[in-house]
Amino acid sequence: MAVWIDETGTLVRPAESASIEPSPMRAIEITDDLPERMQMLFTEVKKLPDHAEDYRAAIVDWVENGADSRFAMAPHEVLEASQPRPLDHSRAAALFELGCHLHDTVGKDAAVPFWKQAHAANPENWTYKRQAWTLESTPPGEASDMVQEVSDTYGTTWLDDVIANGGGEAYGITPAL
Amino acid sequence: MILESLAVDPATFADATGWESKPEGLCKGDQCVPAPEAVTADGLLDVTVVADRLGMAIVEDPDHGLVALGPESGGRALTTTTVPDLPFTDADGNPFSLSSLHGRKVLLVAWASW
Repeated sequence: MAVWIDETGTLVRPAESASIEPSPMRAIEITDDLPERMQMLFTEVKKLPDHAEDYRAAIVDWVENGADSRFAMAPHEVLEASQPRPLDHSRAAALFELGCHLHDTVGKDAAVPFWKQAHAANPENWTYKRQAWTLESTPPGEASDMVQEVSDTYGTTWLDDVIANGGGEAYGITPAL
Repeated sequence: MILESLAVDPATFADATGWESKPEGLCKGDQCVPAPEAVTADGLLDVTVVADRLGMAIVEDPDHGLVALGPESGGRALTTTTVPDLPFTDADGNPFSLSSLHGRKVLLVAWASW
C-alpha cells in the first residue's frame, strides 16, 4: 500500500495497492505433485490483480508533471477515493490496536480474543488477519510464513478467506488509474 | 488510541487522533464538530461524549484496565488531505520527521514481510 504526497505535504492519492513489479509468485508452476492446498493457493495467487506496470508508469508521470499529471488528484477527489469507514471498521481498529497493545505488554494469549473480534468486525481487512496469523505460524526469529495455513487458533486461513471473499481477483485495494 | 480511563487530556487526544478541542468544538483540518459538553470541569475530554460525536468505537478491557478508542467513522477514512507530521525512526535509529521532506514529492509505502 502507498500514498502520494506532494511538495506541500498534501495527499494527492489515497492508500491503494502499490506494486511496481509483478510478484514472482505469479510465475510459480502449479504441478500435480504439489499438495492440493498448495495448488489451490497458487491458483488464487495467480488471480491477484496485477497493476504493476500501470502503477509504475503513473508514478513516473506524476514525477514529471506534478499537479498536471492526470494521476494526481484534487483534495476533494482524494477524500472521496479514500476507503469508507463505517462504525464497524472503527470498532475493528480499536479491537486490533488493543490486541497489539496486549500482545506487547501481556502476551499473545491476551491479544487473540480481541484480534478475533477485529477480524469479525472488518472481515475485508487483510492487515488485521495476516498480522495475527503470522504470529501463529511463524516461530520467533524465523522468516515469515507467507502461506499462513495454520488455523487452530483462528479457525480459518489465508486461502479459505480469499476464496470466501471472492477469490484472488478480489484481493487488495485496486488503484483506480 | 489506548487509554486507562474514559477521560483524556485534550493535547494527548489531539496528538493521537488529530482532533483538537477548540471553542467551536472538536476540529480536524477544515472540519469542526460541535461538542459543548465534551470538556469536563477539570479540563479533560469525556471520551464517551467525544466518541458519540465523532462516531468513534469504544472497546473496554476490564481485565487489564484498558480502553481502546477507534478512529472517527460515518464517512471516509480521510477527513483531510494534509499529512500529519508523522514521527519515524530511520535505519540508523535516529528520529525522522516526514515534514523534513517538504519541497519534494514523497511516495510513502507501507509494507510487511507477510
